[in-house]
Amino acid sequence: MKKILGLVLTASLTLGLAGCGGSTDSNASTASGDSTSSSGETRTLKFAALETAYGTDIWKEVAAAFEKNNPGVKVDMTIDKNIEDLIGPGMKSGDFPDIIHLAVGQPKGLTETFIKDNNLTDLSDVLSMTVPNESVTVKDKLIPGFTDTTITNPYGDGKTFLMPMFYSPCGLFYNAGLFEQKGWEVPKTWDEMWALGDKAKAEGISLFSYPTTGYFDAFFYALLNEAGGPEFFTKAMNYTEGVWQSPEATQVFDTIAKLATYTEKTVPANGNKDNFTKNQQLILDNKALFMPNGTWVVGEMGKAPRADGFKWGFTSLPAVKDGGDRYSYTFFEQIWVPAKAENADLAKQFIAYLYSDEAAAIFAKVGAVQPIKGMSGKLDGDNKLFYSIYDNGAKAAMGAFATTDPVEGVNISDAVFGTVDSLVTGAKTEQQWVEAITKASDALRQALKK
Amino acid sequence: MKYNKGKGRFIFFCLTPAVILFVIFLIIPTIDVFRMSLYKWGGYTDDKTFVGMQNFTKLFHSDKFYQAFQNSILLIVIVSVVTFAFALVFASMLTREKLKGQNMFRIVFYIPNILSVVVISAIFSAIYDPNSGLLNAFLNLFRGAGSEPTLWLGNQKIVIFSLAGAMIWQAIGYYMVMYMASMANIPESLYESAGLEGASRMHQFFNITIPLIWTNIRTTLTFFIISTINMSFLFVTAMTGGGPDGATEVILSYMYKEAYTNSSYGYGMAIGVVVFLFSFALAAILNAVTRREHLEY
Repeated sequence: MKKILGLVLTASLTLGLAGCGGSTDSNASTASGDSTSSSGETRTLKFAALETAYGTDIWKEVAAAFEKNNPGVKVDMTIDKNIEDLIGPGMKSGDFPDIIHLAVGQPKGLTETFIKDNNLTDLSDVLSMTVPNESVTVKDKLIPGFTDTTITNPYGDGKTFLMPMFYSPCGLFYNAGLFEQKGWEVPKTWDEMWALGDKAKAEGISLFSYPTTGYFDAFFYALLNEAGGPEFFTKAMNYTEGVWQSPEATQVFDTIAKLATYTEKTVPANGNKDNFTKNQQLILDNKALFMPNGTWVVGEMGKAPRADGFKWGFTSLPAVKDGGDRYSYTFFEQIWVPAKAENADLAKQFIAYLYSDEAAAIFAKVGAVQPIKGMSGKLDGDNKLFYSIYDNGAKAAMGAFATTDPVEGVNISDAVFGTVDSLVTGAKTEQQWVEAITKASDALRQALKK
Repeated sequence: MKYNKGKGRFIFFCLTPAVILFVIFLIIPTIDVFRMSLYKWGGYTDDKTFVGMQNFTKLFHSDKFYQAFQNSILLIVIVSVVTFAFALVFASMLTREKLKGQNMFRIVFYIPNILSVVVISAIFSAIYDPNSGLLNAFLNLFRGAGSEPTLWLGNQKIVIFSLAGAMIWQAIGYYMVMYMASMANIPESLYESAGLEGASRMHQFFNITIPLIWTNIRTTLTFFIISTINMSFLFVTAMTGGGPDGATEVILSYMYKEAYTNSSYGYGMAIGVVVFLFSFALAAILNAVTRREHLEY
């Protein structure tokens, strides 16, 4: 009797252990060739996306429209603010989504990791695909330049591995209402900027604020283009030897270092992911004149209180010399296909569909603008002002630092952008900043993808 | 004899599930961390390159690592010492004195420990706000309005201590409750006889209370190390992001950034190994240094 009782207890404990195992859902998705609707078999497209300010509803609508256009296809969507944590463990064990909509520049760096590991499907042939229900190819429909950047073509071989999504002009945002009240003009050159800064300071208004140092990427890239043009920008993005000691780079560093002295002193204290909206609030409260940002900021601060007569204003960076070029950096998100995706062909069709007028109209409802021709003409309200920046003389800057193999302990974003906080607080000098960038640049040059 | 065999078998089968779970979820992952620290790996592919001790060599040549390590050590020391002192004093007051609202204080002090780190970070971000924060508003009473606000989270010399303040506030209640549990076991007669002999409150505290709960104190020293390392990562992530410009980067947040943001998972595991060895060694040293003859009541 005692022995039987022991066995029963042991069995129940063992069953408890079995319960911890978790269901290993063996997804036996039979790939039935290239045909999408052969013999009524349903194919599932696994789509994963980061939930951003644009929300999730647009993706549900687009997926439904795509399914309607493609009988026999089902889109299985996973959209979350922490998408990396949701799909990360599965991918570590070889279970990859078919499409991932996740831009570079995220803290978890998942997209960058896939780029550095050469873990992406070549999407160059998407460009020659015809946009579903339309007669033009994807390449012809996209605004020129978007698939020629170091972001979409990370390996320098002319092939496209990440497709562009949802572009936003970046530049300086300000209160146009305040400028009207004061009779001030928006500066066209940096010399005019400093003059305005002194004038504003006399009235207790700081010239500059920034949400976090991460926003200096768009700023820095645009300024490099202004100082030395696109050729110089390309050299800098490829860590060319001696580039940071050149006169053009020195001009950029001098400008940012001087701008740091005009920056509101409390900005580094609030320059983190919980309090960065306080730094943006400075513009709405007329405590600072300008901040670098992208067009999403309007929605982000949509419910924030503001000064009387506040009106969003948007401009490109001032020119470095009178009559010089002015640039506005174009930020855009990316969508890509893991190299080991099961349904890469179906994923490509889905991506091509995203550039259709039907899909673009759905996205535009929440202000997500696809980088396709004629799209800016269909916008209204603030977005019309923002997206017309290029029609008013500003040139578009695109691209980012070139792809390298991972270099342990070296991060170019920290070195270039993160250090601006120290320039504002005075903890570091401009020279220390340039030395740190040069050191990181030298290390990364050795690791460039060939 | 038969009886003993059966009993042994029963014990074995009862222990098996727990041991299996322990090995699968604790032992194997720990060994894997050590193994992966010898590789160069992005974290998501099968493309792993064995690099031996190269990750550790690079680690010990990294300025950022030393900055993060120093910050971690500073926090361990400050948070442990201050929390320990306050918790001990509060525990003593609440168990030995007849305070009104004593039970309420016990609850109130413990509340921070059950709050989410994100909530505490939001509270302290508001307290530290340069323009409308509680701290600067209070200080302005003495130095006049219009003076330069102290940038508790923006001044790179101060911010690490601001972080420590939040961590201390969060931790005091937890250790206070542990010490109170120990102090409650000390017989009242010892204090009575000491009182009769003319010993002061302070004297009783240092010669009766502390020696008799010494075992508990030694145990909590290990807790201080482990929880400060873990909690500093949570507070940094929620409150400062390691900024401004790395001023509050701690060893685990540095590990996270390298393993994920910088796609250097193997290097991140190397940092993990260093953290493991450091905290283990520190706990061992503290354990040895604080060894004393065990006193009974």
